[in-house]
Amino acid sequence: MAPKDTNAVTVTAESEKKKETDPKKLKKKEDENDDSNLSEEDKELKERLETCVSTVLNEKNEANVTIPIRLTALDVIVNELRTATASMTSVPKPLKFLRPHFASIKDLYKTMENSTGLANDALEFRARLADVLAVLAMTMGKPQDRESLNFKLSGTKDYETLASKGAASKHAEDNLGSWGHEFVRSLAGEIGQEYNQRVIDGADLDSDEPFKDILAMVHVIVPFHLTHNAEAEAIDLLIEVQRLKFLLQLDSINEHNYQRICLYLIKTAGYMSDPDDLQEMFDTAFEIYKKQKQYFDALLVALKMDKLDEIPSLLSECEDVVVKKQMCLILGRHRVNYEVEDDPDEDELNELIGNEKLSEHFLKVAQDLDVLDPKTPEDIYKSHLAETGGFSRRRDTSGAQVDSARANLASTFVNAFVNAGFGKDKLMTPDSEWLYKNKEHGMMAAAASLGSILLWNVEEGLTQIDKFLYSNEEYVKAGAALAVGILSSGVRNDADPALALLSEHVEGDSHIMKCAACTGLGIAYAGSGREDVMEMLVPVVESSGGGATNFMEVSLAGLALGMIFVGKCDDTVGGTIVQRLMEATDEELDHSHARYLCLGLALLFLGQMEKADAMMEAVRTIEHKISKYAVIMLETAAYAGSGNVLKVQEMLHQCAEHLTEDAEHQMAAVLGIGLITMGEDVGSEMALRSFDHLLHYCELPIKRAVPLSLAVLNISNPDYAVIDQLSRLSHDPDSEISQNAIIALGVVSAGTNNSRVAGLLRQLGEFYSKEAGHVFCVRIAQGLLHMGKGLLTINPFHADRMLLNGPALGGVLVLLHSCMDLKSTLLDKSHYLLYYLTCAMNPRMLITVNEDIEWRPVTVRVGQAVETVGQAGKPKRITGFQTHTTPVLLGATDRAELGTEEVISVSNILEGVVIVRNNPDYVEPEDSKKK
Amino acid sequence: MGNMPGGMGEGGPPSDGRNGKDDDDKVKKKKKRFEPRPANRQGRRRRRKGPSGLNKTPTILPTSKCKLRLLKLERVKDYLLMEQEFIRNHEVFKPHEERDQEEREKLEELRGSPLGVGNLEELIDDNHAIVSSSVGPEYYVNILSSVNQDLLDPGSSVLLHNKTMSVVGILQDDTDPMVSVMKVEKAPLETYADIGGLEDQIQEIKEAVELPLAHPELYEDIGIKPPKGVILYGEPGTGKTLLAKAVANQTSATFLRVVGSELIQKYLGDGPKLVRELFRVADDLSPTIVFIDEIDAVGSKRYDSSSGGTREIQRTMLELLNQLDGFDERGDVKVIMATNRIESLDPALIRPGRIDRKIEFPLPDTKTKRHIFNIHTSKMTLADDVDLEKFVMSKDELSGADIKAVCTEAGMLALRERRMKVCQEDFVKAKEKALYRKKGNVPEGLYL
Repeated sequence: MAPKDTNAVTVTAESEKKKETDPKKLKKKEDENDDSNLSEEDKELKERLETCVSTVLNEKNEANVTIPIRLTALDVIVNELRTATASMTSVPKPLKFLRPHFASIKDLYKTMENSTGLANDALEFRARLADVLAVLAMTMGKPQDRESLNFKLSGTKDYETLASKGAASKHAEDNLGSWGHEFVRSLAGEIGQEYNQRVIDGADLDSDEPFKDILAMVHVIVPFHLTHNAEAEAIDLLIEVQRLKFLLQLDSINEHNYQRICLYLIKTAGYMSDPDDLQEMFDTAFEIYKKQKQYFDALLVALKMDKLDEIPSLLSECEDVVVKKQMCLILGRHRVNYEVEDDPDEDELNELIGNEKLSEHFLKVAQDLDVLDPKTPEDIYKSHLAETGGFSRRRDTSGAQVDSARANLASTFVNAFVNAGFGKDKLMTPDSEWLYKNKEHGMMAAAASLGSILLWNVEEGLTQIDKFLYSNEEYVKAGAALAVGILSSGVRNDADPALALLSEHVEGDSHIMKCAACTGLGIAYAGSGREDVMEMLVPVVESSGGGATNFMEVSLAGLALGMIFVGKCDDTVGGTIVQRLMEATDEELDHSHARYLCLGLALLFLGQMEKADAMMEAVRTIEHKISKYAVIMLETAAYAGSGNVLKVQEMLHQCAEHLTEDAEHQMAAVLGIGLITMGEDVGSEMALRSFDHLLHYCELPIKRAVPLSLAVLNISNPDYAVIDQLSRLSHDPDSEISQNAIIALGVVSAGTNNSRVAGLLRQLGEFYSKEAGHVFCVRIAQGLLHMGKGLLTINPFHADRMLLNGPALGGVLVLLHSCMDLKSTLLDKSHYLLYYLTCAMNPRMLITVNEDIEWRPVTVRVGQAVETVGQAGKPKRITGFQTHTTPVLLGATDRAELGTEEVISVSNILEGVVIVRNNPDYVEPEDSKKK
Repeated sequence: MGNMPGGMGEGGPPSDGRNGKDDDDKVKKKKKRFEPRPANRQGRRRRRKGPSGLNKTPTILPTSKCKLRLLKLERVKDYLLMEQEFIRNHEVFKPHEERDQEEREKLEELRGSPLGVGNLEELIDDNHAIVSSSVGPEYYVNILSSVNQDLLDPGSSVLLHNKTMSVVGILQDDTDPMVSVMKVEKAPLETYADIGGLEDQIQEIKEAVELPLAHPELYEDIGIKPPKGVILYGEPGTGKTLLAKAVANQTSATFLRVVGSELIQKYLGDGPKLVRELFRVADDLSPTIVFIDEIDAVGSKRYDSSSGGTREIQRTMLELLNQLDGFDERGDVKVIMATNRIESLDPALIRPGRIDRKIEFPLPDTKTKRHIFNIHTSKMTLADDVDLEKFVMSKDELSGADIKAVCTEAGMLALRERRMKVCQEDFVKAKEKALYRKKGNVPEGLYL
């Protein structure tokens, strides 16, 4: 026999939520209820409530109990309910004491419910009774009945009648919030259920009419939540009733909470299954930013939605020149080819979009960090550190074992990557001796490496490359042409040197020149969507009948077109490529380079989701095994970065077959899993688990693609677990798996100088010292690792990992797709495709500049990014930070914050070039003056 | 096991080891593929906590209840369903059972039998280690590749091949048996309903201990860190341990209970080690509630002492301090301590941050006394003349335990007289007896 009092305590907060507590048990408790165990105050409270209830009920129908008296009694109950403060762990006492009377009050209400034509005070009584019942029903009603909401709704109706009679109740207004947060929350939950129920019952979604009553309530609840720091709940409710746009009409969104609201909207959008919902959430965030005059953030959302047509209006609406400059900087970072017109600062803004100062900034950072001195490939290999034991004694001869042409080629690439953007190196720029140490394609790569070394610096680069453009050696000429393209990757120049110099070669006869020119154009204009370049390349794609050499040109031109129109869904380009694929002979499609044509097509639809559907149908009609491969590439590229679970499932289904030959499409599917889930935290972590299963159950072709997929998930982000996994795979007995794993190691650590990976690669270099292919891969990986001496990144995500840069991802994909058939691509003569990586290269620096884009060093804190969405207060955005003075380098998961109050930054995201201005409210602290 | 090392003295596992290495080198020259992958020892401590990095499901943020969290969790579920489907498809295609059986047999063969049990002293690199058996010398031996490297740690028990002594397996359960005893497997029968009064105390302990484990988002919403631990103090017999039992009964979290004196060990350093082990286990099994009864056994104020024993006790307490609020973040581990001499505890032990809440257990007031009497007499057959009010209202300082003693004693008296009912007289006598004992032979009434 448990006494009443302790029972009360066991009815904890949980059981309050689990309203379905066994009714029988409750009955028993009530039966056992003997007052002796209640404290004095409790007893008093209970008695008071009971008298009130009996007055309200007025069972004996006494005449002197008039409605005003009953109203007063009701007021007492209301007051008790509202002021009850209970602990978190138990039900408020008044609620507990009213529980036995719930049924009788409900009966009373039912008798009154149907009577019409009541007097004003009777109406008000009924309305208030409904309110009380709504609160009581929260804990006592059956959850599936939504009693609480129903009472509330009928109560509101009565208030309305009252108001229409000109006798508005003073209680009509303070109706929701005053009952406490818990009540509002439970009501919101029931509204969601009710809405769904009505939709199921056939209410028209688009009109407000069937939902008028609940929407009225939503319109009260949402502002209540917003003003009480419960933004997430407000948005959740609006999502439930599909009225997100309502947020825009609210005044309660202000400079204090808009950021949290938008952050929540943006983060949640990625997980909506319906593309329309996703669109609406982004739209809402966009509009809120615009309303708050946060044009920079609005621009980020617009870029995320790929709505480039919003740019002009945003730029013209924004009145602050400094903000405009910052917006142009992000446009430049995102490689958007947009020209500002009709603006007083037109030239300056266009210069910023065109990244014309990129090289200057980059070199200054390098100077600041003291890494200007060029590095030789040997500095990277560090073969003197090798501890090969038995082998090391023959170290000097070991180089000769590998064929020297390939070693030199590797050194060319390492040199190109390591000194990328610095304008100086020790092999190519001093004299052209190194160039002539190579042969044929090697010469071409060497000449092209100049472009990489002089990256972004168009003026100076052209003068250095110029002399090779007129060389007698065909390969040197081709390399120089490629170099011109590489040079101007991502940078705009009024003279358009790439187009001017390369056009003649595209139309020329020489095979190698054609290949180089096409690739050069692809690199130079990646993501720009330039029509004039398209017109030049389309005829190349359309040409046919030249056998393998011709088809190589075709595929490279197709790839270049894909890169230039990445994510643009251009009809002409798409039509041309698919037409060419359909007309191609079987021999042509069997060619190893056919994959590049497919990749070009896929890149065209990068991240555009369902827009690729029609093209997929078209590609399906091709009667060759490549159609499967192309379809999967299209599909995965279209959903890249979306985290779409259904697509991942499809890809896993593709992997269910056990094929040992003709399994290219399976490789694409595996890579696709990485591609789809990249950039989405939950998905990418779960994908890692799937890869484990793939490695465990599947056949070789799938296993070969796993390292590539791991790489795409962690570009320039050397995560411990992934490195561990890749290092295991790099010792796999299957040479293709190990080669892919080695390249993947390079991609994962690209531009980080990660010492662990450096050590691993050195060991791999010794381990495979007799296998030319592996050594080449190791060298390339080492070059990637030390890319730009650790100042560069090839991570396509930027702006706090929110935006996906199409050209950058395209560049990485070229490398990864080449890895599916290393033997006939990179290890053969198409190694110069590696230069596509320059499209992905970006300085991973943070520099702060003043309003005139001149350097202004400030202190910043750099630390690991922390997820802050949906947290109360102003949570820290970074953890484990260190304070530095700009310029600083940021890793893939790093985030920076200003470390001083002295200045304020124009953008919320500290990445790349950030404009800061003086903080008008800044007061210099007293004690620092004394110093 | 004891005489094994002697038996294989000249067979010489050490020389075996060397041979093995030579063989390895030869193999390396012939076929380099067998070269070990480079050692990557760092980060091992971290990884011990869960399954290796690639296998865990991601942590879901934000922790507060909202749609985003729901969607993320659903996403995780979707992926897990896909994995399940994928594995099912492949299992149908290629049943693994037969092959597994074969492989298992092969593995058995490699392991050999009987197996020796040894202690892993030191890991040299990924394939070699120094082990020692319970008696005798230490050996430098191979580690078979079939052994899970992540679980190997210096100090763990390993299975050794009977001839070559190479490490062929790990004995997983390396928790100190002292600690595993502390785990409360069977929940005690006492519930909150069995506690008379103490409403405030119950509420406080629920807020501090149960709620953070069950609903961490409540604290997150408001932006505070939940309390880490509570100390229960008060006169003897006021229900401190009873409340802890009720907590253990109510919670689904792991409940570890220790008595302060258990932490005092015979050998130097064993006490602190036990404390460390205790909290490590608590962390592994989290969410966990650790209940340390009679904390004054180790937690009394520090003073200069020349006796090794007291110093050791103090060191044990220092370890306890560190575990409560030290450098390592304790996750879902809540600590409840109980003592009846809070004034003698070391101030460092009960500072906020270590113990955030101090809950006093006073002697029961009349109402509570009545309640307690009701609890204890509810299962007794009482004669009609029993008037409990008399005892309830008396001015004696009765603790909960005293009341229980009175009731039990009264029952005993009735039994002695072979009555089926307990009458008032029994209670009077029982009370006298109980109080007589308590007050140390000073007859009742002298001070009235």
